[in-house]
Amino acid sequence: MAVPRYRAAEAALLIVEPLDIFTAVYHRPSGITHLLNEPAPQILEALDEAPLDIEALLARLAGTYDLGDADEDDTAILRVRLDELEAAGLVDRL
Amino acid sequence: MDDTPPDHGPAPEEPATPVPSSVTSRRMLMLGAVGASSVVAIRPALAQATASILACQIPVPDPGNAGKYIASDGSLAPPSLLGPITGYGPFPPPSRPFTGDEVQKAMFQGQNLPGATSKATQAYLAYIRKLKMGQSGYTCFLSVQNPRT
Repeated sequence: MAVPRYRAAEAALLIVEPLDIFTAVYHRPSGITHLLNEPAPQILEALDEAPLDIEALLARLAGTYDLGDADEDDTAILRVRLDELEAAGLVDRL
Repeated sequence: MDDTPPDHGPAPEEPATPVPSSVTSRRMLMLGAVGASSVVAIRPALAQATASILACQIPVPDPGNAGKYIASDGSLAPPSLLGPITGYGPFPPPSRPFTGDEVQKAMFQGQNLPGATSKATQAYLAYIRKLKMGQSGYTCFLSVQNPRT
């Protein structure tokens, strides 16, 4: 089975407003505002340019941020974060 | 020539105070825990009022464009006799506004809108999806729209 890749929702569909520790993201198609906290806004940003699979996303985040000790669970946790963002319509699975 | 680095401490020219660098200043990012959600949704109040969804209305097109036809991509078009005959649009506007309930059934359950063919339903839904804030029916459309389709 092909590894799924993820892509952030089109920027034109979102209004993104950083609010101190939260980032408010208004999703125009659903009229729903999502309050994101770390690492969701950073994931959205990383998926903004091009679709990435989960390993490439992890590598991208690790290149930008200090993720602490690399852990086998990182991939599993990142998958949960992606599932949340996908359920909210903020990330598309390709 | 011996390539082995000298085993004494820091070179004398190394500054005593750390210099900010892109490596050391990388921000920590916590991926969180499996059970801790990082997304909280704030839905429009109307979205949770089922009664409002059933009753609210979406005029197609909005009253300011009454009489205009709806092309298959949802855009407004001048009245045309050919559209309804060929079955591919543009389609004449429906005789009455659709209710949120009807639009929801058409959008998520594949039913045709009342009095509309399948092609006309798709055109009307395309129009409804393009509604913007301030247009008649927009709030109603928001309330029938699911976060995920």
